[in-house]
Amino acid sequence: MSDIVITGIGVISPIGVGRETFWAGCREARSGIKKITAFDTDSFGCGIAGTIDDFDPRRFMSPRVYRRMSKISRMAVAASREALEDSGLDLDTTDRDRVAVVLGTSYGSSSHVEDFYVSLLKEGPRGAQPFLFPETVPNAPASHIAMFHGITGPNTTFCQNEISAESAILYARDLLAHNLVDVVFAGGAEELSQMLFSCYDAVGALCRTKAREDDSVRPEPGKGLVLGEGAGVLVMERGDHARARNARIYGRIRSGVITGGTAELGHYEREGTQMARAIREVMKQSDMGPADIDQIHVSANFSGELDRMEHDRLEALFGERKTRLEVTPLKYLMGDFGGAGVVRAAAILLSLYYRQAPPTVRLKTLKGSDGPVIWDPAPSHKIATALMTSSTFGGASASFVFTRE
Amino acid sequence: MSNKDSRRVVVTGIGVVTSIGDSLAAFANGLFGGKCGIGSLSLFDTTDFSCRVAAEIRGIDLNARLGTPGTKRVSRCDLLGLVAAGEAISNFGPAFKTCDRDRVGVIMGGGAGGMLSWEGYRRAVWSGRKRPRASGLLASSPSTMADLIGSRWGLNGFRTTVTTACSSSATAIGYGFDLIRNGAQDMVVTGGSESLSELTFAGFNALRLMDPLYCRPFDKNRQGLSLGEGAAVLILESYDRARSRGAGIYGEVLGYAINSDAYHMTSPDPEARGMHRVMEKAIAAAGLHPDMIDYINAHGTATRVNDQAETRAIREVFGEEGSRRIHVSSTKSMVGHCLGAAGAVEAVATVLALEKQRLPPTIHLEEPDEGCDLDYVPNRSRQCEIRFALSNSFAFGGNNTCLVFGRGA
Repeated sequence: MSDIVITGIGVISPIGVGRETFWAGCREARSGIKKITAFDTDSFGCGIAGTIDDFDPRRFMSPRVYRRMSKISRMAVAASREALEDSGLDLDTTDRDRVAVVLGTSYGSSSHVEDFYVSLLKEGPRGAQPFLFPETVPNAPASHIAMFHGITGPNTTFCQNEISAESAILYARDLLAHNLVDVVFAGGAEELSQMLFSCYDAVGALCRTKAREDDSVRPEPGKGLVLGEGAGVLVMERGDHARARNARIYGRIRSGVITGGTAELGHYEREGTQMARAIREVMKQSDMGPADIDQIHVSANFSGELDRMEHDRLEALFGERKTRLEVTPLKYLMGDFGGAGVVRAAAILLSLYYRQAPPTVRLKTLKGSDGPVIWDPAPSHKIATALMTSSTFGGASASFVFTRE
Repeated sequence: MSNKDSRRVVVTGIGVVTSIGDSLAAFANGLFGGKCGIGSLSLFDTTDFSCRVAAEIRGIDLNARLGTPGTKRVSRCDLLGLVAAGEAISNFGPAFKTCDRDRVGVIMGGGAGGMLSWEGYRRAVWSGRKRPRASGLLASSPSTMADLIGSRWGLNGFRTTVTTACSSSATAIGYGFDLIRNGAQDMVVTGGSESLSELTFAGFNALRLMDPLYCRPFDKNRQGLSLGEGAAVLILESYDRARSRGAGIYGEVLGYAINSDAYHMTSPDPEARGMHRVMEKAIAAAGLHPDMIDYINAHGTATRVNDQAETRAIREVFGEEGSRRIHVSSTKSMVGHCLGAAGAVEAVATVLALEKQRLPPTIHLEEPDEGCDLDYVPNRSRQCEIRFALSNSFAFGGNNTCLVFGRGA
């Protein structure tokens, strides 16, 4: 069976808008977490997030096209456009019934949900704005991608908190592995609306940090969640299909596993048992052991609960290998959002392709007793294989192994 | 999605809660009895709405049905799903307790999830009341259902949620089928749940897509859909596994297909190309031929455009002769459009049709439409030989799904 490879990457993220800017930002460990200016945070305990304030949809599509789209759909379409161009694929000579779109998102357009509901509260049923409603469904971004490119193959959207994009990538892999399609646009997207932010703030999940506009913001693990937003799309193909058209291959998805754990409402899996099982299983499927993994990308998000769980489990799984285990918690630079998995995968694939590891932190940083995060610049050891682990509040986990071609 | 692999996938547990029956047996009675679940709404105020009806689930104390305390923070949507899951697991039998929990997955289809709970919170904030309790917000996501089922029964296998509006739980069932067929999981608990919510109701009202009376699929005077709520859960496992423990088999899942219209966010392609191709692909994936399909559980929302397009697509797949032979019905005429749960509720209706060899009716069908001229099983169910059946779900955004079912025996 052919390998599953990535031939195109599109990224709209707080670390950088556009793939090149994103990758440059990753290498510098440039943080996209800042004071929120898009909406008023005076009444909230938290005032920071990984927001994207410099995304101009006109770079990617015409106003007529994006006029009625929510921000999340605009970012998703933009990322798909960048990924397609990057892949060099010509859709005109491709069977579009065999091109799929699979996305993941936690909430879809929460701003449209809010705006529509407020129009209902203010104006009553007759005043509710009909054109807002179609954008409230989580599958709107994937549908817009399909309409934008005229893609008629399998199209679906997953929603499972912080493994939403991971769910999409895994389904995409299966579509390709079973030869149901030839190309998949796989990824994730999320927008940060005031409504969503206020809900997280109301349940006490967020860090209680306020900042001034030009402040350098340095959140600390364990002090509370930092949210973010963004979108990413990977163009995925079977290796033989990519090689037949001389595509540039960033890397391979070697294996992927999702597990479900038991968690209390609004909490992560307490012991991380299933998270650890996902990691062991994904390494087993790749015929690898801890010593074979060069990079470890974690989903730690400053919440404390998740960070500590990942620390303890990774220490147990990898501890014997090195005295100072290094990991890459990309959410420490961009915040947490359901579609983040694809952005993290993009960082991995770019690092594998350019043979340049992203910055890391010492694993013990995740325990949260060390103050602000200190990043080590890209280490020089080999980086041909990467493990990506993700866990959700609600108990699910996903694990992937990526390798160079 | 093809049937070439050796593992056949069967349904060995079913639970369902709808406005026409809050258990599998009650739902079957309602379905074949042509019961109408559409009526006035009590969940929220519908004053000033053009449409004031929906298929609301009444007369059942959901918390009492679940029997455990501590469900106060759980949304209505999730309560419905937990009741359905409980019945499915109970129907599956005591063997559920001894399965390898690491290899039991949960894949649900969701829509608005706990939107009703979020609305309550939002209204309280809007009206300036003292800061309302926010804990209900935690359960607002449509992904919560899969987590609750997983946590409650200690299921550690695969877990995710599909959110493609009206086709969510149909795709979820299809994905569950994949995981059994490929040997990735021993069992999959799949399905969907949806509760009525003011936001969704207002959205369809604003788009003028609802019939103020009740939905009348395929009828000449149809005015639109009726929203509904409900939950259906199916347990999938391999045929060999089911046989080896002497399990009762409700039906078989033979294959599925999904695709995209790539046309419009709310209107289906009037040429019905996506609908046509998804049915063809699904039939082929199941290793069948259109000649072998006897019944289609239609998407049949009763909007002017869907019913027309769907009829056109069926004609194109089945041809002139096949279109005269095939039986099509919309069970949305009885349970309304259950959105995120529709695919699963209708999958259960399809499995029941095959099990009982009986066609569920399309009720409220009074005057045939010239453009919709198939046998829609008007108003009364009837016995019929059904070898294989399709269930269609054609969602907002052009997300089309078609499931293929066969008999359990």
